[in-house]
Amino acid sequence: MGSLVELKERQAPVDVHETTDMALLVRTSSDNLAGWDRQKIVDAMVREADVPDDVAERISLDVEETIVRAGIKFVTAPLIRELVDAKLIECGLEDARKKHTRLGVPLYDVDQMILHPNKENANVPHGPEATNLTLAEGIKKEYALLKVFTADVGDAHMRGDIHLHDLGFIDRPYCSGQSLEYIKRFGLSLPNSLSIAKPARQPEVLLAHMVKFAAALQSHFAGAIGWDAVNLFFAPYLEGRSDREVKQLAQMLIYEFSQQAVARGGQAIFTDINLYWEVPKHFENVPAIGPGGEFTGKTYGEYEKEAQRFVWALFDVYKEGDGTGRPFFFPKPLVHITEKLFRTEGWQDFLHHICDVASEKGTTYFVFDRGETAKISECCRLSFKLNASDIEDAKSPWKMRFSALQNVTVNLPRIGYRSKGNDTALFNSLRAMMELAVKAHLQKKYFIESLLALGDSGPLALLTMATDGAPYLRMHRASYLIGMVGLNELVKIHTGEGLQESKRAIKFGLKVISEMSLLCKKYSEMHDMHFVLEQTPAESTAYRFAKLDLRDYRDHAQNFVRGDVATGHIYYTNSTCLPVGSSENPIERVRTEGLFHPLIEAGSITHIWLGESKPAKESLANFVIKVFRETQNDQIAFSPEFTNCLACGRTVRGLQPACPHCGSDKVDGITRITGYFTKISSWNKGKIGELRERNKNKGFFAK
Amino acid sequence: MESLASLSIKGFIEASFVDWPGKLCSVIFFPRCNFRCRYCHNGPLLTNPDLLQDIPFSHIMNYLQRERAWIDGVCLSGGEATLQPKLPDIFAYIKAQGFLTKLDTNGSNSELLRRLIDERLVDYVAMDVKAVLDERSYCAITQSASVLEEVKQSIRILIDSPVEHEFRLTVVPSYHGPDEILQVARDLNGASRLRIQNFNPASVLDSSLESLKPFDDDFIDRYQQQVNTILAH
Repeated sequence: MGSLVELKERQAPVDVHETTDMALLVRTSSDNLAGWDRQKIVDAMVREADVPDDVAERISLDVEETIVRAGIKFVTAPLIRELVDAKLIECGLEDARKKHTRLGVPLYDVDQMILHPNKENANVPHGPEATNLTLAEGIKKEYALLKVFTADVGDAHMRGDIHLHDLGFIDRPYCSGQSLEYIKRFGLSLPNSLSIAKPARQPEVLLAHMVKFAAALQSHFAGAIGWDAVNLFFAPYLEGRSDREVKQLAQMLIYEFSQQAVARGGQAIFTDINLYWEVPKHFENVPAIGPGGEFTGKTYGEYEKEAQRFVWALFDVYKEGDGTGRPFFFPKPLVHITEKLFRTEGWQDFLHHICDVASEKGTTYFVFDRGETAKISECCRLSFKLNASDIEDAKSPWKMRFSALQNVTVNLPRIGYRSKGNDTALFNSLRAMMELAVKAHLQKKYFIESLLALGDSGPLALLTMATDGAPYLRMHRASYLIGMVGLNELVKIHTGEGLQESKRAIKFGLKVISEMSLLCKKYSEMHDMHFVLEQTPAESTAYRFAKLDLRDYRDHAQNFVRGDVATGHIYYTNSTCLPVGSSENPIERVRTEGLFHPLIEAGSITHIWLGESKPAKESLANFVIKVFRETQNDQIAFSPEFTNCLACGRTVRGLQPACPHCGSDKVDGITRITGYFTKISSWNKGKIGELRERNKNKGFFAK
Repeated sequence: MESLASLSIKGFIEASFVDWPGKLCSVIFFPRCNFRCRYCHNGPLLTNPDLLQDIPFSHIMNYLQRERAWIDGVCLSGGEATLQPKLPDIFAYIKAQGFLTKLDTNGSNSELLRRLIDERLVDYVAMDVKAVLDERSYCAITQSASVLEEVKQSIRILIDSPVEHEFRLTVVPSYHGPDEILQVARDLNGASRLRIQNFNPASVLDSSLESLKPFDDDFIDRYQQQVNTILAH
């Protein structure tokens, strides 16, 4: 946006109009007070919005007259712009008005932002950095809706038919998954950085490179930064290191990522680390890269023991928790449960070890890779199945870089309200929403491509660096995510029964998700892009959709939104999940929810809320094995609850109103919000509503 | 199965992660108990069992058949399960269907316990020890007299048997202090496991206990370790 004062600086003084001698000062957007200059109004209209010279001249005179008549001595540039925009509307120049729009934030809103925490994302703490983030996000969101997306897509988002995620990060792709091999091989050499590091020789240095690279990536991606097979790729650096040193390194890794709240908005970097007990088959015969970026002469298959030592130590640290015994929020450990795991020596002890952590702290994610599929998981649940060319890439693992460009979520309950029980109407409406989602993806893709095309001097230089011959972000391999919220409510609206109530309801739910999956395939072929379904984490979307539906479909929606309508603690059930309060036992839950998982290519998860109970690790391991063998479930996590006392600093099990040790009521509850742990005080109203209804499986776990 | 149709079953947990270490099990709750432990959480099963609906045994067996791949065993609990005269038949039936069996008991029916063990009908026994093994302490907690000899007998049977088992002691402030805990451990000379469980004041039989503050988790952990040391000798 050109500000008025910028124009002044660039242009020679223009004819002095008679009114310029009036003592009117303009507070411009560039921190100074400028004298009144009507010509700048004309220039801005012509330059920014292609308004014909004569029309611009006339409008500027009108605006000048308005200001003179008002008798004010002091105006701001935004006010002048709004007055001009009002005149453009009067002249029927709607398109010009749009181009001439000023993006900004009302004083009141900024005041609120500076004083109060942002609850859209519980991972953002409250502070000056967070305020910067919220302000920047606000403006970029407006920019995205006006400039990147067409009006139909933008309006559908505003109405709440669909949700375009991370609009405030419009100039970044969504998430990124990679391996350590890139920095092991090439060192840390980032565009625009002040110094260049050669490949690490020591594990501590490799860790430092990893953390910095993750921070650099986080400032280029909106969502999660995932790392593949972290324990395996560290292994060549650990030979000859004592168990104590390995534990120390594990501790450094976890603390570096959990405490490094230096990413945008003071957030911790949303980091996922993928871990294996075995050496994954596709890496067995791959030449290992070791200190100095040199090939060690061995294959990764020969580093099994070192990799195991490291992953064991990581879970030792997870079990201890942080300095006050709280669970670590990041990095999230995703352990892959595979056929090969069960053939690898020591698997039982390892499974007990990670189940111990799951019961004690809830930290462990169990990712099920059945058959011969291999996956890299990231974000809350996003995973990428590796296809033939990925397996080929695995031979040179630094090439394995994956990204999803954007996530668009469909408001399923709204389809239900609109189709009034008619199947044909429902599926037509579903298709129309999917088409909008696809259109949104095409528009974001086009925009990101235009940024990437600026190359080295563009804003995404990091993603165009071609250290290994290909750009870091491999656009042709990118995925485009389509998520859903409230399948359970859609099914209930349409059939009268929720997912947990009958087989018929589940069957209909499967029909809806199958249709979405088929549509993804169809659009993928049509556009030569990779559209996949994902389970939207919906930390705030489930709340937003419920709120908007309650506004626009109140009579209907008040019977179906979950939570407490009177207090506004409302939400829809996430994605394809069963309602959180349903009394389904954990077996039923993993199995029923698992029916949907094969249709959701980008990965899914079932949460099992433990409340305050602490089952035996052997029982959890028993359950995990059965989930692998008996269901199609993609991923599970067990979520206990904790109370952290702000007065005495101790952490106890369960959500308590006051600290059982010191009696203080200055306590903060901690549990998993969606795909990660946070303090409950940072949650939005919808999520609080959900927490109240979560079934803590009391009958199954309590004792 | 026919003869078991008339069983009175008042509660059923389909899948429990906490009732049998290492196993996923279902739990069946029988009504009535000959003890009146002040901290009991299953009060309604004791005082007003008839107000609770019966769950047909066939319903439970259907569930177990369906979930055969998941459920390793069935825990028979209560109330006090050994008050059921048909208990051996129930155990036999469940075992015949291919499930492991566990008994939760207060140890007041040593003869039935011995029978279950001798006939190899039970795979795991969890027995509550309520207090130090003297008449006065036992009576204070259980509010029932002359049960001590049966309890001692049951403890001996379990310790001498090959069946996997554990003893459990729920510790209640003002009833059990450090001395009592360690004394119970010594009373159980020869046992392999005594689990110390913290008192939970929520919905207890004797409502005067509701204001009682449970022990610190640290206290429980510390005494669990001391108990383990005593039993290891």
